[in-house]
Amino acid sequence: MSAVSAPDVQPVALHEATRHRYLNYALSVITARALPDVRDGLKPVQRRILYAMFHNLGLRPEARYRKSAAVVGEVMAKYHPHGDSSIYEAMVRMAQPFSLRHPLVDGQGNFGSMDGDGAAAMRYTECKLRPLAVELLSEIKQRTVDYRPNYDGQHFEPVVLPAQFPQLLVNGTEGIAVGMATRIPPHNLVEIIDACIELIDDPQLGSAELCKHVRGPDFPTGGIILNEPGELQQLYETGSGPVRVQSRWHTEKASRRTLVVITEIPYAVNKATLVEKIGGLVADRKVPQILDVRDESTDVVRIVLEVRKAHDAAPAMAYLFKHTALQTNYHVNLTCLVPGNAQVPEPKRCNLREILRHWLDFRFETVRRRFVYELEKLRERIHILEALAIIFDELDEAIRIIRASEGKRDAAEQLMVRFGLDDVQADAILELRLYKLAKLEILSILEELEEKQAEADRIASILASDEELWSVVRTELLEIRKLYGEERRTVIGGDEAPSLDFDASAYIVSERAYVIVTRNGWIKRQASFTEVEKIRIREGDAIGWIARANTRRTITFFSSLGGAYVLRVDDVPATTGYGDPVQKHFAFSDGERIVGVAVHDPQGLPAIDDEQRRQANLREEPPPPYGVAVTRKGRILRFALAQHNDVSNKSGRRYAKPQGAGDAVVAVYVAAGSEEVSIASEQGRALTFPVLQANCLKGAGKGVTGMKLRPGDFVLAFELTTHRLQGATVTTNQGREEVVRPNKYRGSRAGRGKVVLKRDRFVSWAQPILRLDQLHAESDDDDDDQAGLPLDGSK
Amino acid sequence: MPAATYTAKDIAVLEGLEPVRKRPGMYIGGTGKDGLHHLVWEVVDNAVDEAINGYASTIQVVLRSDGRTIVVSDNGRGIPVDLHPRLKIPALQVILTTLHAGGKFDNDSYITSGGLHGVGSSVVNALSERLVATVRRDGKEWQQRYRRGKARTELKGMGPARGSGTTIEFTPDVQIFGEYEFDPELIVERLEVSTFLNKGLRIFFKDQGTGKKVELRHDGGVIDYLEAIRTKAEATNTTERPFTLERTEAPRIDVALSWTDAPRERFHSFVNGIPTREGGTHEQGLKDAIVKAVRGYMDAADVSLPRGLKLTAEDIREGVFAICSLFHPDPQFQGQTKDKLNNPEARALVEGVVRSELEHWLLDNRTAADAILHRVVMAAKARQASRAATEQVRRKSAVNRRLNLPGKLADCSNSDPRVCELFIVEGDSAGGSAKQGRDRKTQAILPLRGKVLNAEQASLKKVLGNNELSDIVKALGCGIGADLKADRLRYGKVILLMDADSDGHHIATLLLTFFFRYLRPLIDAGHVYLAQPPLFRIESGKQTWWALDEGERDAIVRKLPPRAKPQISRFKGLGEMMPKTLYKTTLDPESRRLLRVTIPEGKQMETESVVSDLMGKDPAMRFKAITEWMSLVDEVDI
Repeated sequence: MSAVSAPDVQPVALHEATRHRYLNYALSVITARALPDVRDGLKPVQRRILYAMFHNLGLRPEARYRKSAAVVGEVMAKYHPHGDSSIYEAMVRMAQPFSLRHPLVDGQGNFGSMDGDGAAAMRYTECKLRPLAVELLSEIKQRTVDYRPNYDGQHFEPVVLPAQFPQLLVNGTEGIAVGMATRIPPHNLVEIIDACIELIDDPQLGSAELCKHVRGPDFPTGGIILNEPGELQQLYETGSGPVRVQSRWHTEKASRRTLVVITEIPYAVNKATLVEKIGGLVADRKVPQILDVRDESTDVVRIVLEVRKAHDAAPAMAYLFKHTALQTNYHVNLTCLVPGNAQVPEPKRCNLREILRHWLDFRFETVRRRFVYELEKLRERIHILEALAIIFDELDEAIRIIRASEGKRDAAEQLMVRFGLDDVQADAILELRLYKLAKLEILSILEELEEKQAEADRIASILASDEELWSVVRTELLEIRKLYGEERRTVIGGDEAPSLDFDASAYIVSERAYVIVTRNGWIKRQASFTEVEKIRIREGDAIGWIARANTRRTITFFSSLGGAYVLRVDDVPATTGYGDPVQKHFAFSDGERIVGVAVHDPQGLPAIDDEQRRQANLREEPPPPYGVAVTRKGRILRFALAQHNDVSNKSGRRYAKPQGAGDAVVAVYVAAGSEEVSIASEQGRALTFPVLQANCLKGAGKGVTGMKLRPGDFVLAFELTTHRLQGATVTTNQGREEVVRPNKYRGSRAGRGKVVLKRDRFVSWAQPILRLDQLHAESDDDDDDQAGLPLDGSK
Repeated sequence: MPAATYTAKDIAVLEGLEPVRKRPGMYIGGTGKDGLHHLVWEVVDNAVDEAINGYASTIQVVLRSDGRTIVVSDNGRGIPVDLHPRLKIPALQVILTTLHAGGKFDNDSYITSGGLHGVGSSVVNALSERLVATVRRDGKEWQQRYRRGKARTELKGMGPARGSGTTIEFTPDVQIFGEYEFDPELIVERLEVSTFLNKGLRIFFKDQGTGKKVELRHDGGVIDYLEAIRTKAEATNTTERPFTLERTEAPRIDVALSWTDAPRERFHSFVNGIPTREGGTHEQGLKDAIVKAVRGYMDAADVSLPRGLKLTAEDIREGVFAICSLFHPDPQFQGQTKDKLNNPEARALVEGVVRSELEHWLLDNRTAADAILHRVVMAAKARQASRAATEQVRRKSAVNRRLNLPGKLADCSNSDPRVCELFIVEGDSAGGSAKQGRDRKTQAILPLRGKVLNAEQASLKKVLGNNELSDIVKALGCGIGADLKADRLRYGKVILLMDADSDGHHIATLLLTFFFRYLRPLIDAGHVYLAQPPLFRIESGKQTWWALDEGERDAIVRKLPPRAKPQISRFKGLGEMMPKTLYKTTLDPESRRLLRVTIPEGKQMETESVVSDLMGKDPAMRFKAITEWMSLVDEVDI
């Protein structure tokens, strides 16, 4: 009954089996799944759907809708041996007006939305072809394209559809194959056809010249393309590059607020996800300008953002463009299958000209084959008409021959002999209806013969000349352009999109806050606190500094190793918990600690009057306030605080260079210039001197000698004081307290200081909490107005 | 001091010490070697208490040449010799003869003490056949002698003396301890621990029997101790310096800890200088603190872990060596040997103090913190790996191996690997045909669903986590990768049976890659095959043929009579075939054709590069390989 190959085991090398099979897979995916053909711009599944709808099911625009399941079933059974969902999804996409610039399928029912909703199940939805799709198919019966057997050899399917317009560029496509992918954006039909006509007229034109017509993608979803014309031209010359697409928006006046209304979003962006993302940013207070987000879309896009004031719209949109898909990069990759030497088309990344060239050549061939077919049909008809004419001349004889014949076969043979006819002609005569023998009929036959002859001659002459053929291609293109041409939806060029400056500080909610810094370097921000003792800190830690500043201002942390780290107050974590360790924000070295804090807000800085500024000017120094630092080895540094105003990076800036191991900055304070430096050393010496005796440094340095120390002695305590009875408070190893106050220890810079203790040592320094929030009486000034003031006080 | 009063008082006190001699175990844990040396610790700890509280700096311990007498002296304040206000006898005598007497119950004289529940000196006295207490105080020296807890002499002034201090010389009672001798090494070891825990404390030890003298002093304190333990264990520190904590306010806590490369954690904890070998609440507090501090640090510093990795407390503490010394005014011990601290508040206390300090230390020392985190992550990874290995072992050793087979496997009834075959089949629909058509004695079927994971681009962990691939591994029964044991393979032939379309080819390459990367010995041993399902069916009249490829199809068609009009159909999927047909064409060992997958001699490199180029992560290499070999492709799906 059956013959089967003999039992056999053959060895196969792994690398060969892998290579062979993988390449088969790769090539199958490339040439028969994921990439579109340059000629009709369709992937196999799309082509099969359209062909089945047109040819098998007759779902033309004028027909009734049919269930999608019927289409999917037909396609799957006859042409596409894959899963039903992949077929249905491909069909749904062809019906979506937001996916295709010119949808090819007319869908009835829920065919999905820009919010990423899927279509209804295929048993619910119905479909038929749109008129434009017919322009891809109508010439198929005229033998314009090749056919090949389907997967099981039971049917035939077209290799390509006789597209009458460059569908590849008009509707675009996306696909991921193996080792390559494609992403072709939709374009404007009018522009593409204009480029084709230009290329027919002057076949030498390059992509750059064609860009005169094809100004850029034309997305069905509109939007604004921000690329410079040169960039787009380059994209069309190379076949790849990014297209920056921005949403289109305008403002509307509502009763008390301003509304920003987004009416177009970038192509292929999921609107629901986008609105969700914006909502998230608003909820997180990232864009304080926006109060509310609503998606009021129906069949048209309308995303409404409520903003406080009209002038808030621009910064809000600038933020959203930067952080959401409201502005998107669409990466174009014009890869498609082009007719190659072999049967199988080859994948190639094309430029604009190549795509149009391939299509025009294909179109030319289609038109030629159409004419060839028409001519053939005409000639067949003429052939028969000629026989009829002969017969009518000898009608009676013919009738006699037929009557006398033995049957149809015999009659045909006798007619052929008698009148010199061939098989076809004799058959046609024998099939004539009797009424055709009426007298008038001969006239119409002769008339038709003449007509057909003339038409045949015309077509023959067209076929004889490429020029004539091109002219037909051209005329027909213009016809399509007229029928289906539409206005461009996507605007090209940034003129339409006001350039919005992105300024990070615009998104900080302006408010005043307490910044709390602990000795161990934990930082946090609180709107208020009741008592210092009740501020939450970690066990074993102590509060070192409390400052009050606007969130838009900055705060500088001076470290023991000479680093100045600057953070925007807004970036200090707002919490009633422990806050963050400063190391989370900055790259502190091992053992590096905070020894000074300054806020760059007038509220947290000493008041500076004009006289002090004038004095500084006389000293040829920058104006106060200054930072003052003293190191363990007794060096003192004074520098303009303003240079540490700007936010620093993780590694900070230098303000001091401690000298070698064992040295470190003891403390850093902000000074107006009138303060007294109060220093105590471990070996029991004390010294005060006016802060201005330390000269002002331009950059980070080792400073000048503040207190001359004996070998092995180090500075224990350093404070600034404005009162003759106050200063650093230190304790001896006997437990006695000593205040290093100017009225007792006044000397001058680089002095050795007074010996307070001979044998004992100072062992601890009662470092007070520095209240930078209590420098001035609380004012009720509006923060917003103050935020604009220069920090160093100069105007 | 009148003798009658003295005697009457004395008798009452002596009665108080009687139970000690009756049941010494209750007080010193036994009368063996430990109990004997406990007497030394009691006396030494009293001296150390003087030192801890800042009154003494040097302690001398002498083992007399008889090997049975110990002399402990310190330069502390000296035990008071004035009369006790209520008992009207010298305080020294009260202390040495009264249970629960001493300066350690009110917290004024001593902040903390190691003495065992205050029974210390009197217990030693009670259990010594001879004890001499000498006190130097206020420029005079005083002495009193005892025998078995009873004063033999009154407290006598011995004349002027310089400085201050206490010397206790005692000889434990042979009636209690039997024949005994002190162990000088044990004593030195214990003394050294005391000097470790009390930074700066100096202890001289002299063994008069051998004349050996040792001076013990550790200025680094617990850090030195930690180092000593670590060096002895031959472990390497993870960080340059250990973490240390010295809490000076009461209760005093000293902690030194360091992560090392040792595979275990080692905690040495002490309460008031006494080792708590079984740990207890303070040690638990330290353990909690370490874990919480590391977690807190990771949280505060935004440290991210490798994906999917979770840290357990054991991971965090792996390799930690730690010393924890707590000085507690009122320690409560638990257990027979009093080796475990039981004060509930100690746990929270130690945890609170250590946690914030350690967390702060980590934040301040990023270099150290990074090294520690690296260590911890390594521990977690190792734990995961070893758990996976254990599971593997458990699976292998299960009683009934078949219980561990994947549910989708349709196994064969024979269990002899030499004749058994496993068909790995693409898709459930093909699997159904294969199951119905197979020879159920020797042919097992494992259907896969869809495309399997690309083993070239995935880690071993991901491969093992993938259901389809792990099903294959389970069905094969021989393990994977380094653990592969070819002799456990359950099937002599592993046959890949895929549809003859492009997706089938893709799955075949994915499986070949998996076998190549993870089950290579099976290929080398010739166990892996590719099945050859037919591509075409030719029907003419009532006859049917199957052809493997176009060539064969054409050959069959040529042999037909010229007038025949054969019906040729192309198979797309295995599911199209009737089970019988599938068996006849593809499964039947008599009539099928198989390809045995090999890696030919000298083609190792080529195999390697084909697999890595086509299946690897670099799309550029794949593109290059595809374009280079494109011309080789003979047929392409439509």
